Amino acid sequence: MSINSAFHSQRKWNIGFILFLTLLLVLLSQISIHLTLIMALGTSLGFVLQKSRFCLVSALRDPILLGMTQLTRAFLLLLGISILGFALVSWGASQRNIPLSLNVFPMGVHTVVGGLLFGIGMVLAGGCSTGIIIRIGEGFAMQMLAFFGLAVGSVLGERSLKNWRNTFGEWPGIFLPDVFGWIPTLILEIIVLSGLWQLARWWQKKQLGE
Amino acid sequence: MTRFSIDIWGEMCPIPLIKAKKKLSSMQCGDVLVLETEHSCTSRGIVVWAKANRYIIEEKEVANGIWHLELTKTHD
Repeated sequence: MSINSAFHSQRKWNIGFILFLTLLLVLLSQISIHLTLIMALGTSLGFVLQKSRFCLVSALRDPILLGMTQLTRAFLLLLGISILGFALVSWGASQRNIPLSLNVFPMGVHTVVGGLLFGIGMVLAGGCSTGIIIRIGEGFAMQMLAFFGLAVGSVLGERSLKNWRNTFGEWPGIFLPDVFGWIPTLILEIIVLSGLWQLARWWQKKQLGE
Repeated sequence: MTRFSIDIWGEMCPIPLIKAKKKLSSMQCGDVLVLETEHSCTSRGIVVWAKANRYIIEEKEVANGIWHLELTKTHD
């Protein structure tokens, strides 16, 4: 019966945390509405991320390790939805003349090296950056260590970025809608994503022999 | 029908799934493999994997953040 009591004790904790969070938000709203909104948005994002049990590592690793592509396809769907959402936001912003600051970064050797390092690291750590933070919240000690590594790696990468650029050069970042226009870009992206979707489905069928 | 269980407590994906796969290959049809994990993604991953492989799987969250899984081997 120890398991059932664990459920009850957790329920008390849940009520406590909800109370604590509400009070914290009320307190914050006395200082700044802006901060309160950020805090509320951050908390709800974290909640959704944890409850969704979505795992980017699994989406990228399982096709190769286990021949499963369910999460990979979910990830492609997520990309498709966010592309459409992003297009809507950009369209709305241009209608109201709100300037958007886009993070279009130049590419180079450092992109590939960083991607490889991050990829190896996330499979070993069992979580991407948000995944690690979620699992720290769930109480995994190993991910705390991984988070330390993530922080060190980010600082090192940020500090050495200049050297990488000077040594190997870089290509300018491309923002597709600027090149093709919005509608052709959207069509192109949806076609590419559905192609990848089909590829993922074919891969799973082949691996599991259905 | 025999019940087997393996210790995957505290293990991270994908190790539990690989262990389960290994154990499953040594089991007879109709045997049940009992797994318990505190890792949300591991539990999810095993359920999705079992369904894709057409095994019978039962998932139960027995306490907050603890999942009890029963996997029946239905075919070789």
